[in-house]
Amino acid sequence: MLKLSRRHLLKTAATLTVLAAAPLAIARAAAEESVHSVINALIKKYSDEARAGMSNGDVSALFEKDGFRDYLDAYPVGDLAGGFVWKPGMGASFVGPYSKLQIKSPFTDYLPLTEGPVLDHSKKYRIGLVFHGFNHPWLISLADTAAWEAARHPNIELEVIDAEFDDNKMGQVIDTWIAKQYDGIVLWPNREAPMGPPVDRAIAAGIPVVSLDRRTSSEQISSEVLGNFYANGLQQGLYLKHAAPEGNIIFNRKDLGSTADSIRTGAFLEAIGNTPGYKVLANYHTNSQRTLAFKSTADAMQAFHDISVSFNTGGEEAMGALDAIREANRLNSAPGGKKIMILANDDAREVLKEIRSGNIEMVSPYTPLIGDIGIRAVVMHIGAKAGLNEAPPKLIMTPNLPMITKEKMNIEGIETLTPDEWPYAYGPEVAG
Amino acid sequence: MTEKVGEHVMTMSTLETQVASQARPPDAWRHLSVSETSRVAVLIALLIAGQAITPSFLSLANIHVILLAVAAIGIMAYGMTLVVITGEIDLSIAGIAILSCIAGGLMIPTGSAALVIGTTLLTGLAIGLINGILVAALGIPSLITTLGMLGISRALANIFSGGQALYPEPIAAYLWLGRGDLVGIPLPVVLLVVLGAAAIALTKYSIFGRALYATGGNVKAAALSGINVVGVRAVVFAISGACAALAGMLESARLSYINPAGFEGMELSVLAVTVLGGASLSGGSGSITGTVVAALIIGIVNNLLNQLGVSIYLQQVVTAAVILAVVMPGMWQRGIAK
Repeated sequence: MLKLSRRHLLKTAATLTVLAAAPLAIARAAAEESVHSVINALIKKYSDEARAGMSNGDVSALFEKDGFRDYLDAYPVGDLAGGFVWKPGMGASFVGPYSKLQIKSPFTDYLPLTEGPVLDHSKKYRIGLVFHGFNHPWLISLADTAAWEAARHPNIELEVIDAEFDDNKMGQVIDTWIAKQYDGIVLWPNREAPMGPPVDRAIAAGIPVVSLDRRTSSEQISSEVLGNFYANGLQQGLYLKHAAPEGNIIFNRKDLGSTADSIRTGAFLEAIGNTPGYKVLANYHTNSQRTLAFKSTADAMQAFHDISVSFNTGGEEAMGALDAIREANRLNSAPGGKKIMILANDDAREVLKEIRSGNIEMVSPYTPLIGDIGIRAVVMHIGAKAGLNEAPPKLIMTPNLPMITKEKMNIEGIETLTPDEWPYAYGPEVAG
Repeated sequence: MTEKVGEHVMTMSTLETQVASQARPPDAWRHLSVSETSRVAVLIALLIAGQAITPSFLSLANIHVILLAVAAIGIMAYGMTLVVITGEIDLSIAGIAILSCIAGGLMIPTGSAALVIGTTLLTGLAIGLINGILVAALGIPSLITTLGMLGISRALANIFSGGQALYPEPIAAYLWLGRGDLVGIPLPVVLLVVLGAAAIALTKYSIFGRALYATGGNVKAAALSGINVVGVRAVVFAISGACAALAGMLESARLSYINPAGFEGMELSVLAVTVLGGASLSGGSGSITGTVVAALIIGIVNNLLNQLGVSIYLQQVVTAAVILAVVMPGMWQRGIAK
């Protein structure tokens, strides 16, 4: 299994990223001004402080109990490939081929490929994308961006398969593509371990494989396009510290041991671990289910009458928590008659609507619009295999994105964006 | 006069006695008394323990939360109980709930509450009826029929919605179903009580109710005694489908969110409540009052454990242990009786 510590990655970031497109010095200078590097520096700062010790006993106890240090150390944090600097406003707009929704995809200029035929123009390249969840708005958007990129290149033939959250089915799909001698494979694995062997079989058959967002246990995989969970949790913590130096927190977390939960919650705890005013009231795993988050929050509202913060590892959880708080008519029931602060991740349009309304305080975007990067990366690997270009890096970081708040703010050097400044939200519009 | 039933030849008087005994409402069955006593005892013990552990447990606000939490699962369990009494099973309810809500949700752009709500309920009723016809008229086992319908319903919900959630915010009457109240009582709780009362009346005091138990107890004997067993089973599946659609709508209205991937695993939770309520999967027994008590037990256990901050994983263990603790005495008693 690929085992890289965050510290190791920070130290060796330059060797892990491809900076061939621009002179190193220019790239670094530009990167220093980007939100990506600002957030990475904050990740390092708070991680180092937490490693030295947490003065908040409550936060420290939860951090230790769930073993966050191990997860955080294994999660890569580093520079962007090719010295890429992402700025708000970048990207391309199109209608999602599957969702039929208007999309603005933020990273279409990252590891770019010119529109038109790729590599050997006389050849047809067959690429398979296997993922889970044509019933999931986040995942449909991921497939939308992959299909959009493939459609820009007439000699790419993309087959998209939904494995319906069945690891065995995903493995069988990959084996079928190996047998059919596909040119490249892109996958969104649900869980790490089961997808390692099928990926290794594809690599052994000479087929480049790129994973999106989540990781596999394969050490041979060609590239991993990684999300920015660390930036998510960190920004939730920074916002809380900025908005209130003390508060009683309830947690709605994803599945225990999942990367999204481990890194987001761990980074949040690192950020607030040395502020003594926070108390952990309750800690629930509501497993990405809005209904469960709703029920847990409704019950927590009865158990505690001094809740001031609802921390949620995902947008589904945040919406469930908000509905429960609203149903109990307790939006303004935090100590001192203040509003209960709701912290969220995932920039779905419905979450942004609640930020505009002032019901959710902030959201850290975690965009699904990264499928296009996977397609470009796998094409580059196919080209590298044929000696037509250089291979992209093994670890392809996606840019850290700034948090979204109702009003514009500057929190420890991070310029927040308002919902109106954020064209990249996914999912359907909410009327009303 | 004799009737041939399978390999057995019995007199009409024997047959009538058998059907009559099986058509008796379950509270008259002495062998279930231990189970029923267990359920009530557990419910009382939970209420006492809950109040002792968390002082606000029996507050009006918390009772409100518990009742709202069990409303949807309780309504689904009413339908499931009727199906199980007839000796069948309905594993499609979660699929029916979501497909019905999506079908209704697609009517949101019309702005007509009647169309949205009507489409939802009629879709549930229709799918339930299809289940009933496949099981009762065509003789396909209900386990296979409803498992297939679960998959079909979920898939159609995805196809129709394009995998995207629907938001019923513009339909105020729809939202009122989940968020409104009647004289201060939340509407889902009102519906839970009213439908429960109707289901009790149906099972205990109507000819149809006796036909349910008779069909579940011995379908051949029931048929020979003149009961339209095909009609009875078709109707209970239709009722179960309508209950699933209504429950789905209440939950969607509470959250103002129709999720094509929603209600995952709900069929097993509802089945657990039904069995905990005393219904036997072999048919012929079960009661709505038992189902109500069982739904309350599950709701109280979950509420209490959430209030105590117990992890969801441990909650699943505790909930299963409670189900076993309540069901096992009755099982032992039946074993001894045999």
